[in-house]
Amino acid sequence: MSFRDFIKDKIWQILLIIFILMTIEIFLLAYSYGIFIKIYIPVAILSCYFIAILIEYIRKKIYYENIYNLLNKLEEKYLITELIQSPNFSEGEILREILKQVDKSMLENVNKYRYLQEDYKEYIEMWIHEIKIPIATSKMIIANNKNEITKSIDEELDKVEDYVEQALYYARSNTVDKDYYIKKSKLKDIVNECIKKNKSVLINEKISINLYDLDLCVNTDSKWIIFILNQIIQNSIKYRKKEIASEIEIYAEQRKENIVLYIKDNGIGIKEGEITRVFEKGFTGTNGRISNKKSTGIGLYLCKKLCDKLGIAIELNSVQDKGTEVKLIFPNSSYTDMK
Amino acid sequence: MQKILIVEDDEKLRKELEIFFTNNGYEVESLKTFDNTIQDILNINSNLILLDINLPGVDGEYICREIRKCSDVPIIIITSKDNEMDELLSINYGADHYITKPFNIQILLAKTASLMRRSNMEKVQDKINAGDFVVNLSNSTIIKNDKKIDLTKNELKILKYLTEQRGKIVSREEIMEYLWDSESFVDDNTLSVNMTRLRNKLEELGLKELIETKRGQGYILK
Repeated sequence: MSFRDFIKDKIWQILLIIFILMTIEIFLLAYSYGIFIKIYIPVAILSCYFIAILIEYIRKKIYYENIYNLLNKLEEKYLITELIQSPNFSEGEILREILKQVDKSMLENVNKYRYLQEDYKEYIEMWIHEIKIPIATSKMIIANNKNEITKSIDEELDKVEDYVEQALYYARSNTVDKDYYIKKSKLKDIVNECIKKNKSVLINEKISINLYDLDLCVNTDSKWIIFILNQIIQNSIKYRKKEIASEIEIYAEQRKENIVLYIKDNGIGIKEGEITRVFEKGFTGTNGRISNKKSTGIGLYLCKKLCDKLGIAIELNSVQDKGTEVKLIFPNSSYTDMK
Repeated sequence: MQKILIVEDDEKLRKELEIFFTNNGYEVESLKTFDNTIQDILNINSNLILLDINLPGVDGEYICREIRKCSDVPIIIITSKDNEMDELLSINYGADHYITKPFNIQILLAKTASLMRRSNMEKVQDKINAGDFVVNLSNSTIIKNDKKIDLTKNELKILKYLTEQRGKIVSREEIMEYLWDSESFVDDNTLSVNMTRLRNKLEELGLKELIETKRGQGYILK
């Protein structure tokens, strides 16, 4: 609030004061008072009035500036109502009251959607637990009736399982609460689990696996990492080069600050201009459009989101026609530091 | 014969598990009603329990704790809940393994077998006597009439698998899946090399052509 704006607001008051002073002056001139009184009365009134509005100006300026400063410092601006001090003038009180009510109603509105989302997430989780039973049963039936046809159905069931898993983690990635459970896990166990999960495809497609330097431990939720790693490995399988012998190389490196898990393939790679966009939701790129890869643009997006939640960095490098390398960077902190 | 008790409320899954374990040489019994689950479980004297933790009426974790109060029988929990917290709780309540649906059937079988072995204090089977030769699993050798040859880890696994499946044609994929399940992620070429070396070693022992190649189908141990 500049002084000019403030004066502008007071313009009628000032004009009226001047008008009254002028009428007083006319009366004073009509009678034979001394010159001193003729000057003193208007000057005294005028200066008193100006001191009064100056005080008012300073008070308001301090108050509003204070609010602005707080607002700029706050990341979540709607919390401002909790921080505003009670003003010593009535206009400020009105403003505070309005803000409070607006805030309250907004919070109620936000909470409504939060509950709705929470509710939906719970439903999805329940649904996923339910659907896993018929999948498990079907897999048992297949195990008891092994032949070419059931084997083929089994492969399709694996895909169903993957999609179901993706839906579960998608639901989990969107909530604010912590669904994960951090504990010390061996990278080797995590990687082995993922390879075993994909063994049928890897064996059928003759993709060789090269694992080394994996005897390191990280503090994380291994279930989440298995899911993330699984998405990355499935990408490597999907975007392999048909002409050459495919290979997936997985190894870890202990650095001073962190542990890095590398997942390298010799697949078709990603176009240079598209690398920065691979973690965007729904981004499929050139690779997603060619042939029948059936890209959904969800896999890596989810990986990134889940990594963010777990405090893990994910990086992707790729050279088109040469291959892709994904790095998962685990902080090297102790169990208690994680919080 | 070893007896497995299946506690699973999904009827179809229960039946398939029964068939599967029966086919794999176990005696199987299962609960059909869940009104008095804990007492029923304790009444059946089994060597291992497969327990679903989402049962009607009772909580599987509670069952687990109650069983542990009076029995040390191995328990494998089967569930569709797959988060670390549930897993940790179940293990704390005394379950030996925690497997999530849908499970890898071979791994379930392997875990069952290893738990049974340990709980019965049965000496780990360290020798397979195939009649014409003996495979010693503890020191990874093959023995025939006092002659002994060392085998590598993969060669041992392959020979073990072929011996178990003796007389049946085993495809290369099957062998590879078997190796992968035990975390040797070999590729096609490595398998070929391993097979050749294994054959050479068998030949040294005078067991020439013990492993026969069936073109386009796989191998057979005669």
